[in-house]
Amino acid sequence: MSETVLAARRAGGATRWMGRNWALLFLLIELAAFILLGRNFQSLENIQNIFVACLPVLLLGMGETFVIITGGIDLSVGFVMGFGAVICAKFMVLLQAAGLPPSASIPLAALICLVVGLVPGFVNGVLVARLKVPAFLATFGMYGIAYGVSEIVSSNTPISGLPAEAGFIGNEYFLYIIPRKLVTFIKPDHLGPEDLKVMLSIFPIIVIIAAVFVAIFAFILRRTRFGQHNYAIGGSQDAAVRAGINVPRHLTWVYVISAFFASLSGVMYALKYVTGRADAGSARMLDSVVAVVIGGASLYGGTGTVKGTIIGALIIATLETGMVNLGVPYHFRYIAIGLILVLAVLIDQFFPELVGRGE
Amino acid sequence: MPSKANGQAVLAYLGERWAAFFLLLLLVVFSLVGRNFFSIKNFSNILYFATTYALLSAGETFVIVTGGIDLSVGFVMGFVGVSSAIVMRDMFAAHYSQAVCMVVGTLVGLAVGILPGLVNGFLVARLRVPPFIATLGMYGVANGVALALSQGFPIYFLPPRVQQIGNSFIAYAVPGRPLTFFQRPPDLKPDEIRALVGIVPGTVLVAAVILLISWFVLKRTRFGQHTYAIGGSKDAALRSGINVPRHLTWIYVLSSVFASLAGIIYVFRIGLGNFTTFNSSYELFAIAGVVIGGASLMGGKGSIGGALIGTLILMTLENGLNIVGIQAFFRYIATGLILIAAVMIDQFALERRSSFV
Repeated sequence: MSETVLAARRAGGATRWMGRNWALLFLLIELAAFILLGRNFQSLENIQNIFVACLPVLLLGMGETFVIITGGIDLSVGFVMGFGAVICAKFMVLLQAAGLPPSASIPLAALICLVVGLVPGFVNGVLVARLKVPAFLATFGMYGIAYGVSEIVSSNTPISGLPAEAGFIGNEYFLYIIPRKLVTFIKPDHLGPEDLKVMLSIFPIIVIIAAVFVAIFAFILRRTRFGQHNYAIGGSQDAAVRAGINVPRHLTWVYVISAFFASLSGVMYALKYVTGRADAGSARMLDSVVAVVIGGASLYGGTGTVKGTIIGALIIATLETGMVNLGVPYHFRYIAIGLILVLAVLIDQFFPELVGRGE
Repeated sequence: MPSKANGQAVLAYLGERWAAFFLLLLLVVFSLVGRNFFSIKNFSNILYFATTYALLSAGETFVIVTGGIDLSVGFVMGFVGVSSAIVMRDMFAAHYSQAVCMVVGTLVGLAVGILPGLVNGFLVARLRVPPFIATLGMYGVANGVALALSQGFPIYFLPPRVQQIGNSFIAYAVPGRPLTFFQRPPDLKPDEIRALVGIVPGTVLVAAVILLISWFVLKRTRFGQHTYAIGGSKDAALRSGINVPRHLTWIYVLSSVFASLAGIIYVFRIGLGNFTTFNSSYELFAIAGVVIGGASLMGGKGSIGGALIGTLILMTLENGLNIVGIQAFFRYIATGLILIAAVMIDQFALERRSSFV
């Protein structure tokens, strides 16, 4: 008898593990399906493409994770990303015109963009934390404002004339390997066609940059007092106030973090596409919320992890890349993502014990 | 101290009615500053562009009064517009008469427009998915379906009468001739054509009738009362015997139907079927209109009249800024600012009222 109980417990443990990690399983199944159905889906190049494709969702999702854990929402991230892309591109052009070499103008423009990009977050934060405007409406207002401002800054046209070097950072890799011949950090010139064919390019530069920031903020959320306070506020704002947390100040910071990641994503956009557009991230707001929710965060606050958001972003990026690979029209991604969002919330709602929230 | 109490009451009153005063203020300021702002033609124009937004806001009003939100309206509008335009185009290509094409196209549009609402309603009312998430999912799905149907291109080659009807006026005035209704006076001379003034676009009349009906439904019927009751307290509504899930399902269907009407009117106006782009932000303008009109996202508060005033503020602002020569994109900024201001005024008024009581 004890053996059956043990077996049952083990089986129960397995289901529970599956319930908790359904997003990870979903990702693996998705990968397996595309590898079976697609052409060369498992190639190194394609897998790296998935990582590149997941960047905007992941970066916006990082900020959104902090916000959603506190029980808020940031609807402005998509257009703040556009704002970031426009500001970054604009300053690259301006600084170049002022005679700065690309090695100075690109990092300087990125820095300016990241600083200016904090402003919408600060405004959101003050509105939500100090003036008690519901997060949904405050950031919805910012959604309109950020879009309007970036269309005006860009004069309603994609910004062109960026230094070409921006494209190198955005599209080159960290490491180039020609088997049995060469390992280098800089893309080697004058290669023969044979070498080009076997050359492995690994670690896209923008993925590395993003990974650094994601790692830093994952640490902050998980290991620092700031992260603990974040969960505490989401669990119960009243309790957090009574426990002596300066809730308004904390919440302001959270919205600033969200805007920071949105602008960072804008910088990445400018580097990758060598342009800046006001609508760069307009389609990404939905994606970022979906990634966070798939990752197990509850919109009521108090739960959510960076790991979950990464898996969520990878699910979306894999879907996107896989659909391109299979030749499915791009539009279907919106349908699929909408469905996944509702599915994730339904699972969360109907099987709380499965997801481990009932305990 | 009666004078102080009076002052508080005046403040509270202003807090509740500020939108109407603000609209008046905008009209006065732009009339003074903008050239040709104060003219029948321009007011007609404002109403003409306001119809789609006013319809979206009206549907959103019902949802917001129940304490929900519908983020999918803009993309449902695009989805319905594309669907009905495709029907019209294909039937016209198959040599059906223009009238048949238009009637069938409109009916098909209204029919498919019910679907997103049913799904939203089912998710929110029966499966208890937060409205924000359910309709955000539909935002993606409706957008994807519209893009897939249209292959990412506008639907051209509709019957030519479509655009004529969509741009006709209720009455036409030419100096020295009697008013004619629904049609231009026959055989106009060139200088008479220049002097021709259309009074109230036909689409505005249609929208006005729909808004009047929805005002009646929300204010004067049991359905409307139940809507406010659910928004006030869902528990109390349940206990007083209202079938809340069924009612909520209807509310989301209603919102979808209003979005469909907006989509169909849009097709008639521009003579082609177009999907909604992300940056057109219809949902922003719809929700902003409702909130500026005094609704609370907590539910239980809001009116069709308020939503109409809110929409007219946004449209007057857009039109006025245009006439004064300010870039079109300032309207997004202005809308965002007014939306936030509206919420803050509402909160301020609420505090005043509670401290007053």
